[in-house]
Amino acid sequence: MRPIILATACLFTTIAAVAGQPQQERERAWTAPAAADSRQNPLPSQPGILAGGKKVFHQRCSVCHGEDGTGSNRGPNLMTVRVQGQSDGALFWKISSGNTRTGMPGFSFLPEAQRWQLVMHLRAGKE
Amino acid sequence: MSVRRYLAVSLLTICPVSVASAQERPYFVTYDHYLEERRSLEIAVATTTGVPKRDQHKYTAPWLELEYGVTGWWTSELYLEGVTTRGDGHAFTGWRFENRFRPLKSEHRLNPVLYVEYENINEASRIQKEIVGAGSVEFEPIDELKEEHAHELEGKLILSSAVRGWNIAENFIMEKNLSESEGVEFGYAVGVSRMLGSLARGSSCRFCAENFIVGAELYGGLGSTEEFARAEQRHYLAPAVAWRLGDRTSVKASAGFGLTEASDRYLVRFGFAYEFPVGRR
Repeated sequence: MRPIILATACLFTTIAAVAGQPQQERERAWTAPAAADSRQNPLPSQPGILAGGKKVFHQRCSVCHGEDGTGSNRGPNLMTVRVQGQSDGALFWKISSGNTRTGMPGFSFLPEAQRWQLVMHLRAGKE
Repeated sequence: MSVRRYLAVSLLTICPVSVASAQERPYFVTYDHYLEERRSLEIAVATTTGVPKRDQHKYTAPWLELEYGVTGWWTSELYLEGVTTRGDGHAFTGWRFENRFRPLKSEHRLNPVLYVEYENINEASRIQKEIVGAGSVEFEPIDELKEEHAHELEGKLILSSAVRGWNIAENFIMEKNLSESEGVEFGYAVGVSRMLGSLARGSSCRFCAENFIVGAELYGGLGSTEEFARAEQRHYLAPAVAWRLGDRTSVKASAGFGLTEASDRYLVRFGFAYEFPVGRR
């Protein structure tokens, strides 16, 4: 029994050490693959679709990125040039994939249309 | 104060905090690759009600689940569980502490998650969060079963994929009872699910399709290193549904049908989950 407890303690110590990596290091090199980067938003820009995107953003994203997408102490500002300068395809890929190192959850469980609605909402927020 | 009233008061007390995105899933046994969000806590209460095939007593096993996202790739969970049996009393059946680790940074076709759990339970435990080994549920009196303690270590390899709006998840389970000199027991769980609806409506709606996830899971035991015992294995097929009630809350239900002689006739499960953020990023 004792070796198991010891091994478990070692495992958790190692995990805690890795979890303590600086945020900057964890965000490094999070880029969409070329095929994903070039994808276009297939949804037409209509008020109903945009309103749906706003609702999904409120439900899924606002707790970290703020109601207006300008960030909070839990997540970065999405209205910056660094984010808005990315293609629709790259944003879609990042919303879908997430990044376990930065704590950004993946939303691939949402229907594709809803993820594109989120991209549309992000673009609308910039204007 | 009764346990039920205590839970109700606790949930009402935490309701006013800000919105968090509940990662509702319809599964009760199968795990997918979506971990709890970093620095978010989910409180869930659920029950498993078993209807045996023969004259044994029906039972209901409730549990409380506290799930916390330690990091983006590490989720911890604590379970407290009990059992109540019609005509045979009730008991606290123990606690479980589980951890899930997602080693890969982004989403891939197949997303592995490693799972480690320690269980300090007794033989009266019937929540059946997983089924391993062989043999039916024990129906000796609860008072006797609760005196037989078990310290168990469980590992799972979770593989999960998102394919065209579907989630497909496979779990391979190994469990070792550290209190007994018995072999390692094996089990499995497979689940498929998808969210209904496609585009999100602009207005908020409680009953529209986008708030429902439907699916099914198949789970059971696969014997142990000491015996495969095919005839005594339990297997269940369980259609399941999850309903997103609000931004923070979801309920889910499943009806499991016993597929073998050793299985109970039905396993009916209900769950309620409430999620909220705690602390900074």
